[in-house]
Amino acid sequence: MDLSLSLIIFLPMGGMLLLFGFGKRIGEPGAGIVATLAVVGSFLIAVVLAFDFINGDGPAETVRWFEWLPAFGVEAELRWDQLSALMTLVVTGVGSLIHLYSIGYMRGDPGFGRFFSYLNLFITSMLILVLANNFALLFVGWELVGLSSYLLISFWFERPIAAAAGKKAFIVNRVGDVGFILALMLIFSVFGSLGFDTVFEGAHRGELTVTMATAIALLLLVGAAGKSAQLPLYVWLPDAMEGPTPVSALIHAATMVTAGVYMVARTGAIFELAPIAAATVAVVGGATALFAATIAIAQRDIKRVLAYSTISQLGYMFMGVGAAAYTAGVFHLMTHAFFKALLFLGAGSVIHGMSGEQDMHKMGGLARKMPVTFATMAIAWLAISGIPPFAGFWSKDEILGVVFERGGLWQVLWGVGLVTALLTAFYMTRMMWLTFFGEPRWDDGVEPHESPRLMTVPLVVLAGLSVVGGLVNTPFKATLEHFLDPVFEAVHLAHAPDGSLAWILAAVSVAAGIIGIGAAILRYRSRVPVEDGLGWRLLGNGYYIDDVYAGVFAGGGKLGADWLAFRFDVRGIDGAVEGIGSLTRKAGGWLRPLQTGFVRSYGLAIIAGAVGLLAWFLSRGGI
Amino acid sequence: MNLDFLAIAPTVIIVTAVVLLLMVDVTFQMTHRWWGIAAALGFVGATTASVWQWIEHRGDDGELFFSDMLAVDGFSSFAGMLVFPIAGLGLMAGWQLVRGVGRRGAEFVALSLIAASGAHLMAASANLIMLFIALEVFSISLYVLAGFTRKGEGADEAALKYFLLGSLASAVFLYGIALIFAATGTTSMYGAKAFLDSTLILRPGILLAGIALLLVGLGFKVSAAPFHVWAPDVYQGSPGGVTGFLAAGAKIAGFAAMARVLVVPLGSYIDDWAPAIAVMAASSVIIGTLFAIAQTDLKRMLAYSSVAHAGFIMTALVAGPAGIGDMWFYVSTYAFQVVGAFAIAAVVSGALTGRSPLSDYAGLSGRSPLLAAAMGLFMLSMAGIPLTSGFIGKAAVFRAAIDADYLWLVILGLVAAVGGLFFYLRLIVVMYMQPEAEDAAHPQVRLGTRFAVGVAAVVTIVVGFVPWPLLDWVKDAIPL
Repeated sequence: MDLSLSLIIFLPMGGMLLLFGFGKRIGEPGAGIVATLAVVGSFLIAVVLAFDFINGDGPAETVRWFEWLPAFGVEAELRWDQLSALMTLVVTGVGSLIHLYSIGYMRGDPGFGRFFSYLNLFITSMLILVLANNFALLFVGWELVGLSSYLLISFWFERPIAAAAGKKAFIVNRVGDVGFILALMLIFSVFGSLGFDTVFEGAHRGELTVTMATAIALLLLVGAAGKSAQLPLYVWLPDAMEGPTPVSALIHAATMVTAGVYMVARTGAIFELAPIAAATVAVVGGATALFAATIAIAQRDIKRVLAYSTISQLGYMFMGVGAAAYTAGVFHLMTHAFFKALLFLGAGSVIHGMSGEQDMHKMGGLARKMPVTFATMAIAWLAISGIPPFAGFWSKDEILGVVFERGGLWQVLWGVGLVTALLTAFYMTRMMWLTFFGEPRWDDGVEPHESPRLMTVPLVVLAGLSVVGGLVNTPFKATLEHFLDPVFEAVHLAHAPDGSLAWILAAVSVAAGIIGIGAAILRYRSRVPVEDGLGWRLLGNGYYIDDVYAGVFAGGGKLGADWLAFRFDVRGIDGAVEGIGSLTRKAGGWLRPLQTGFVRSYGLAIIAGAVGLLAWFLSRGGI
Repeated sequence: MNLDFLAIAPTVIIVTAVVLLLMVDVTFQMTHRWWGIAAALGFVGATTASVWQWIEHRGDDGELFFSDMLAVDGFSSFAGMLVFPIAGLGLMAGWQLVRGVGRRGAEFVALSLIAASGAHLMAASANLIMLFIALEVFSISLYVLAGFTRKGEGADEAALKYFLLGSLASAVFLYGIALIFAATGTTSMYGAKAFLDSTLILRPGILLAGIALLLVGLGFKVSAAPFHVWAPDVYQGSPGGVTGFLAAGAKIAGFAAMARVLVVPLGSYIDDWAPAIAVMAASSVIIGTLFAIAQTDLKRMLAYSSVAHAGFIMTALVAGPAGIGDMWFYVSTYAFQVVGAFAIAAVVSGALTGRSPLSDYAGLSGRSPLLAAAMGLFMLSMAGIPLTSGFIGKAAVFRAAIDADYLWLVILGLVAAVGGLFFYLRLIVVMYMQPEAEDAAHPQVRLGTRFAVGVAAVVTIVVGFVPWPLLDWVKDAIPL
């Protein structure tokens, strides 16, 4: 157990190190194969280890590596329970497919080896995050995924936009990290430990006041909002699409952005004690879901549609975990990983076939040229639109059902979720139609073609998962819920309604999906309408939030920084530091002539030193 | 007499590798690949043997061998586990030089192996004469290595200066051994310890003078002020591919010898030598820091910085036996940093040239981001920034000194560490904020260098984050 669980992390870590040193030498496609095998290996181990859990009789286990920070009682320790097993399976499973796909997608890129070493670094970090058994190790993983996402977004760093996007993601995530670190400090101050068991058991025994729990939970939310691109810290994710498309699929759809959801689910014991904070999570999620969905409607870049769609779907997950429906939230996390990774990889396949074109207004009629891509993406489209029996329907419906069942103001949130579902169906249909149907609007010289087998096989596998992935947790057979029960044993879970209400709610949300799809088909069936009214421009530019941020935070920050740099620093700090600096430098300059370079003067120095030492020692005892 | 050839396994393996290398090379005119294989066999074998000795003899399980000539204990085996890999990394980083000197490259490899073996023997010597022989084996190899390119700018000067001053120091050291022998009647360290523990010397002048002269020789080796004067010229003049091992190896071997000599035979005279060590530490820290600030050549700057580091390491030694673990921690982490830093210098300014002006590094971050990042990491670690191994090392030696009631030395060390920031950060500023020269070439990083820098960087980071395993190990790296 010890070794095999560690191997899950060590395999991709080894791949990362190997490729980091020898990536160029191993070359193409060897580097990609090595990286893929490492992740597949982790996945297989995880499957074997998770077998007991699937049979329903596996106890949670911990693997202790070493004592890391004894002063804080922190050990480098892994935790293997149902939740981390599920996350590990998603990360390594979807990750393997994306690795495989990347071998085809990155063909001919000069940074081929580097790319795969970064991908393996990312998988390593993500696994540390989900397998950590205390907040400190979780934080290490948390920061490492931030680092690897930065490296991958700005992978084509010679393109200024990509470099700027990487920087933006890094900085916005730091804002979230401040909240996270403060939360960790509060947790340590209350419990005197950062271990999950100690903290959650302590919280259960009532060692946490409501005020303190609320403070901690809200700070955790700040961290989660940064990583999972929720309002108001979502701005980095659309720009992050500058990275290679498999990166968008891996990091910005399937895995990293779900870290916030995972963290809230993991710390459910704290959120349970802070109903206000939990409600805030749900409200932030609902608002983000609706907000991002409206923006997604008016995007022309195929990847930006998916980016905003991801933000919107993450909002659903937040809504779920905020409503204490942790299973539903994690369930949606899983299905979303399948169909959103599929959408991104499909979009990558389209972009690949269109020689780098990302503007949907220049696509159209691709269905016949790229049949596999089209067929698989169509499945993902129906899945995300909430059409049964595809995966997205079951998970989305469960979240909406739980939110409705809680009654009162929560039902407003249900309404928001329903409208979002309608919008989602609309913009996804728009995307599908502009891309695959209608008249070709290709630029001259673009010859669309289906992508190589290496890229379509992962698409087909993901499409299969998008079809059946939802069946693991249906109202008829709640397998996943039973699977995750031991993890959330101590937490009070909210449940979806049953009986006729469940049927009505499901019918309503399916209706919303169908209306959205129908409206979009009507609108885009015969022609591409001109979309440049005021409203479209407002939405297309994301409500100009980026510009507002640039003006207020970046501009204001720059003013403050200017004051600090040119006033305070120059006069205050530099005065002091440069005083010391110039003094030492001057002293250094005066001393310099002492080092003449003549052996005789060096010899003299040594003899003088010897005489000095002799004088001291002889003064301690006579001859 | 305890004859056990496994006790000298590291030495035997190295010597075998050297003989093989030279004989086979003379006979078959091998290419440099075969030299590399021979060196790898030697270093890996010697490291393995040291690890085996460590497992057998760590902690309190040390033993004496060969008529008390050699001690195999945690102390010597830790030194072996450190010096052989470091020498291997240094050689990998200097492989460019091995290839650049034609057929003489085989000699270079052989000398590196011999020097490493000498360094290890210095840590394992249990007899002052043995120590002297080991020191000479080590030093003479280094003299030749420092001047290996011969016509290289400053290399012959560096080698000659190193040799002349080294001979002076060796002579003084030998005189010190004679005086110790005169006072105790033995050159065995453990014999002297037994004598001094059981005998009250009324007029210990001879003995104390002997200690003083021993300290001169060892202070020279570790480049502690005021015996550091050779270091800047030698570091700067010797070819880039040599300097890393020269700097790291001398620190490991010198401090190993110094610690054993001071703590084992002279342990009962700690009240006499600790103040002297403290003064040497203080002057090294001050002089190293002040002079480093004024330098415009990276290798010269690192030479003075190594003087300052010698001071920091001696700060641990004032605590006597209690400080040995902290000394090892600092020495081992510093050895990796310095090998890594000089490996990068050998890339940027060339493995065959001596000088490495700071202007070579302008805009390095643009030309070679990974090199610049690694160099930045080593600088931060040498400066003692938290989350690097350098920080933990400084914390460890300062704690040892505080426990030994040398608070003034710690305060002085802290001030010097702040002053040291000036020149470490300056290199980072040069690399990251200054525009590169127009004709600056994109540095070619060979696999060996990449490996050496990578290992050094990983060690620096990992030990910075997770120092406890190493801190536990060095507790067992104590002399018999």
